[in-house]
Amino acid sequence: MSLIRSLAAGLRSLFRKEQVDRELDEELTGFLEMATEEKIKSGMSREDARREVRLEMGSPEVAKEIVGAAGWESLVETSWQDLRFAARMLRKNPSFTTVAVLTLALGIAANTTVLSWISATLLNPIPGVAHTSDLVTVMRGDRTDHPTPPFSYPDLRDLSERTQTFSGLLGYHDDYMSLTGVAKPERIYGALTTANYFDVLGVHPILGRAFLPEEGTLRAGAAVIVIGYAVWQNHFAGDPQIVGKTIQINRHPYTVVGVAPRDFTGCAPGLRTELWIPVSMDRDVWGFNRPDYRGIFWLNVLGKLRPGVTKNQAQAELNLLMRGIAERFPEDHRDSPNEISLDPLWRSPFGINGYLYKILPMLLGLAGVLLLLACANVASLLLVRSVGRRREIAIRLGMGASRKQIIRQFLIESLLLGLLGGTAAIAITVWTSRSIVAFFPPSSLPLTHDAHIDQRVLFVTIAVSILAAIIFGIFPALRSSSLPVQSVLKEEATSVSLTLHKSRLLSGLVVAQISLSLVLLVCAGLFTRSLQKAQQSDPGFEASHLLLTSYELSPAGYTRATGAAFDRQVLDRLSALPGVESVTLADFSPLSFSIHSDYLQIEGYVPQPYESMEISRAIVGPNYFRTLRTSVISGREFTAADTAESQLVAVVNQAFVDRYWPGANALGKQVTDGGDRFTVVGVARNAKYRLLTSPTEPVIYLPNYQAYSPTHDTTIHLRTTGDPRTMASSVEETIHQLNPELPLFNVNPLSVTMQLGTLFGRVAATFAASFGFLAMVLAAVGVYGVVAYTTRQRAREVGIRMALGAEKGDIYRLVLGQGFRLTLAGLVVGTALGLAFTRLLKAQLFGVSETDAITFASVGLLLAVVALLACHIPARRATRVDPMVALRYE
Amino acid sequence: MKEKTGEVVQGTLDMLIMKTLALEPMHGYGIAQRIEQISKGVFRVNAGSLFVALQRLERGGLIRSEWNVSENNRRAKYYLLSERGRKRLSTEAREWGRQVAAIARILEA
Repeated sequence: MSLIRSLAAGLRSLFRKEQVDRELDEELTGFLEMATEEKIKSGMSREDARREVRLEMGSPEVAKEIVGAAGWESLVETSWQDLRFAARMLRKNPSFTTVAVLTLALGIAANTTVLSWISATLLNPIPGVAHTSDLVTVMRGDRTDHPTPPFSYPDLRDLSERTQTFSGLLGYHDDYMSLTGVAKPERIYGALTTANYFDVLGVHPILGRAFLPEEGTLRAGAAVIVIGYAVWQNHFAGDPQIVGKTIQINRHPYTVVGVAPRDFTGCAPGLRTELWIPVSMDRDVWGFNRPDYRGIFWLNVLGKLRPGVTKNQAQAELNLLMRGIAERFPEDHRDSPNEISLDPLWRSPFGINGYLYKILPMLLGLAGVLLLLACANVASLLLVRSVGRRREIAIRLGMGASRKQIIRQFLIESLLLGLLGGTAAIAITVWTSRSIVAFFPPSSLPLTHDAHIDQRVLFVTIAVSILAAIIFGIFPALRSSSLPVQSVLKEEATSVSLTLHKSRLLSGLVVAQISLSLVLLVCAGLFTRSLQKAQQSDPGFEASHLLLTSYELSPAGYTRATGAAFDRQVLDRLSALPGVESVTLADFSPLSFSIHSDYLQIEGYVPQPYESMEISRAIVGPNYFRTLRTSVISGREFTAADTAESQLVAVVNQAFVDRYWPGANALGKQVTDGGDRFTVVGVARNAKYRLLTSPTEPVIYLPNYQAYSPTHDTTIHLRTTGDPRTMASSVEETIHQLNPELPLFNVNPLSVTMQLGTLFGRVAATFAASFGFLAMVLAAVGVYGVVAYTTRQRAREVGIRMALGAEKGDIYRLVLGQGFRLTLAGLVVGTALGLAFTRLLKAQLFGVSETDAITFASVGLLLAVVALLACHIPARRATRVDPMVALRYE
Repeated sequence: MKEKTGEVVQGTLDMLIMKTLALEPMHGYGIAQRIEQISKGVFRVNAGSLFVALQRLERGGLIRSEWNVSENNRRAKYYLLSERGRKRLSTEAREWGRQVAAIARILEA
C-alpha cells in the first residue's frame, strides 16, 4: 500500500511538478511568516523578526531543496536533466558524436552479428523445441567431422527398454524422399522415425496427431505420415481437411495423420526435414528392411535425460547396456566401435553445429576484441574532448557540484553514446545477420540458415552497449572530475604543455588500439592464408570444366535393372554431345558432404578393439578417374565391362593402402562390403571429398553396375572443353529426351558446389578480415586524433622552438617521433597479445602455423605504415606553424 | 541570549509529529511550535527536516493533508493523523516507553 502511495506521490511530483512546487512554496512561506508574526507579537521589530527566523529556520530555498530532494523522484529528475544536457552536448558537437556513434556501432554490430548466428544455431539447435538442455545426441566411436548413425533398430529398441537414465530415446534416419502422385514430383527431405519421435521432442502436431506406439513396430497399418507446415502450405494449399487424406511418397500411398508446427523442421541441426514416416516403412520408402537387422547401424539417436540425471551417468549406463548387447550378439557388433559418447545439441557432431561450435565462439572472441578497440577509440576521443571542457567542469565544481555529480553527468553522456551506437548496431545487424546466406553455395543438402535478430540478441545488444559505455566512459569521467579547480580557472592564459600527465592515459589508449588491431589483423591474416592454402591445395581431382547434374531413379519407378540400363543410356547419349570430353557418374560429388560410408572387412587386416571399420565408400561409373583427372597409380580403373555378371572389383586410394596394407601390393586383395567380396584392381591417388582441410582418409570405390542401387542419388560428372555452364541446357535436354518426367537437380559446375567444402574457412576468413580492416581504420583514426590533438596543444612550444631556430625538419621529426614511439609500443604489446591469442586458433588453421612469422611481420609493417601516415598529417601541419601567431595567440 | 535548544533525537521526529497531530489537525508551523512548547524549548524543529518528515509520513499513509484556513485567516496546509497513523503511534509510543524505561534502569543501576 504505502509503496504504491509513495509511487503515486512521486509520479505526481514528477509530472505535475509546477503545482507541487507551488504548494510547497506556499506552505514554507506560510511557515516562515507565521514564525515571523509570532516574534513580532513578542515585541520584535519586523526586520529583526525576519532575520531571527532565518537564522533559526534556515533559508526557505534550502528547505525547499531538502524537501524536494528527499523523494525518490528527485533522482529520476536530475538524471533526466543530465540526459537532456548530455543530448545537448552531443548535438553541439555533431562530428564527434557521429564518429563515436559510428565506431561503437561497428564494434557492437560485429558482436551482434556473430551472436545472431550463435543464437540461431548453437542456442536454438532444434527450432520449434524450446527446451533442448536435457536432450543429447548419441555418438559411437571417435569424434570425427562425419560421425555415423550409432544404432540398429533392434539395438535401439533394447536400449530404450532397459535404460533408467533416459525418459526417452528417439531414432531417425533422414534423407530425400519424393512427393509423387502430383503434377510435378518434388524431392523433399524427410525422415523415418521411431514412433516416440514427436513425444520425446515434446512437439505437438498443429493438426491431427503424432505416431501411435504400434505404428513404429508393426508394418500393418503403419503407412502414415506427418507432414511439415511448409509442405502442407505449398503442396496442399493449407487444406484444413488434410488429416485422413492419402498422399504418395516414392510412389507408395500414406495416410496423413498430422501436420507439424510451423517452426519445427526436424531434429538434425541445420538440416530441414519436412516429412516424417514410421521406421517400419523402410521397405516402401527406400527399398530396404533395415529395422529387421541388428547389424545395420542406420539410426541417428537423440535422448531425453530423466530429471536429475547427468550426461556422464547416462553415458556410463548406455555403454554398460551396449556392452551387454554386443556380448549377446557378437556377430552383429564385431566391426563397429562400441564406445558411446553423448553431446549436448549445441555441439552435436551431427549436422552443422559440429562445425559451427568451433568457429562461432572464436569469431565472437574476435568481435569482442574489436569492441574493446572501439571502446579505447571512443575513450580517447572523450578524453580529448573533456580537455576542451575543463573550464566548464571547473566552473561547475566551483559552483558546488559534487565530484559524484560530474561523474554521473559524464557517464550519462557515455551511456547515451553507447545506446545510440547500440541502436545503429541493431540496424546494421538486421542486414549483416542475413549475410550468412551468402556463404552457402547451391547444394544438394537441405541446409537451413535462418539467422535474425531475436529477443536474446536484442537484450544482449542493450547490455553490451551499456557495458561498453561504462568501459569507455569511466576513465574520462574519473579524470575529468578530479580537476584542480583553482588552477584550471587561472591557467587559461598560461598553458604551455598542460598534458604531460594526462597524455599518459591518452598514450595508453593509443597503444591499446594499435596492439588490439594488430591482434585482429594477425588473425585475419592467418585465416586468409589458411583459406588460400586450402584453396590452392591439390584436392586430388581437377574441378574446373566439370558440370554436375543429379537425379534420383527409385521415386521415378526404376528398379535395379531398369535403373542401371537408364544410367547406361544417359552416359552414352551425353558422351556423344559436342563439347563433352568425357562423362561419368557417381553416388556423391566431391566436397559437398555427400560421400557415403560402409562397414568393411579387409583381407589381412585385424581391427583394434573398438576400431571403427566404417570407411568412405564411393560408387562410381566407368571412366570416373579419367573424367575427374584423378590418376590411377597402379592397376586399372572401372570400365563399362565391369558389370553385375563379371568379377566384383574395387579401386582403393593410396591412403587406404597405407593404412590397411602398408608395404604390401594391394592389387588382388579382397574387401568385403555388405556380404559381397570385391577384388582390388586399382590404386588411385588420394583425393579429398569431405573438407579440403581435413587429412586424406581411406576411400574405396565400387563400380556402379556392380554395387548399383536406384535409391542413391546419381550425379552425372561431365568434363567439358568449354565453360561447363553453357552445357547445362543441352545436358538437361538430352536426359529429358530419355525421360521427360525425371526431375533433375543441382545442375552446377563442380567448382561452384565444392565451395561447400570451404564454407567454414570462408566464413572465418571473411569475418576475421573485415574485423581486421575495421580495426586498422579505427586504430589509424585513433592515432591521428591523439597526435593531432597533442600537436595542437603544443603549438606554442613549437612556436618557441621555431623562434629559437628549429628547422621544419626538426619539428616534423618531433611530431612524427611521438607517433612512432606510440606505434612501436603498440606493435610490441600487440605481438605479445597476438602470440597468446592465436594459440587458440591453432586447430582451425590449415597449412599455416599460428605463429607464422610472415603474417606477423607483414601485419606489423602494414600497421606501422598506416600509423605513420596518420601522424604525417599533423606533423606536416606543425611545420607550418607561424611562430609569431603561435606565441601571440595565447 | 537564547537558551540552548537541541535537535530532536534521531528517529523520534515522526513519532512526535504524530503525537502532536493526535490532539488535533495542525499546519506545519503549528506542529513545530507545539513540539517546542510542550518540550519546554528543549527540542527545536528545523523547517527542512519537518517537511521531509511530513512528506515521508504522508507517503507512508500515516497522515493526510488538506488545505484550510488558519486561525489568523491564512491559507495553510493542515495535516491529520490517519487511522493507520493512530495505530502506528500507539505501538511506537509503547516501544519507546519500554526503551526509555530500560535505559533509565541501566543509568540508575
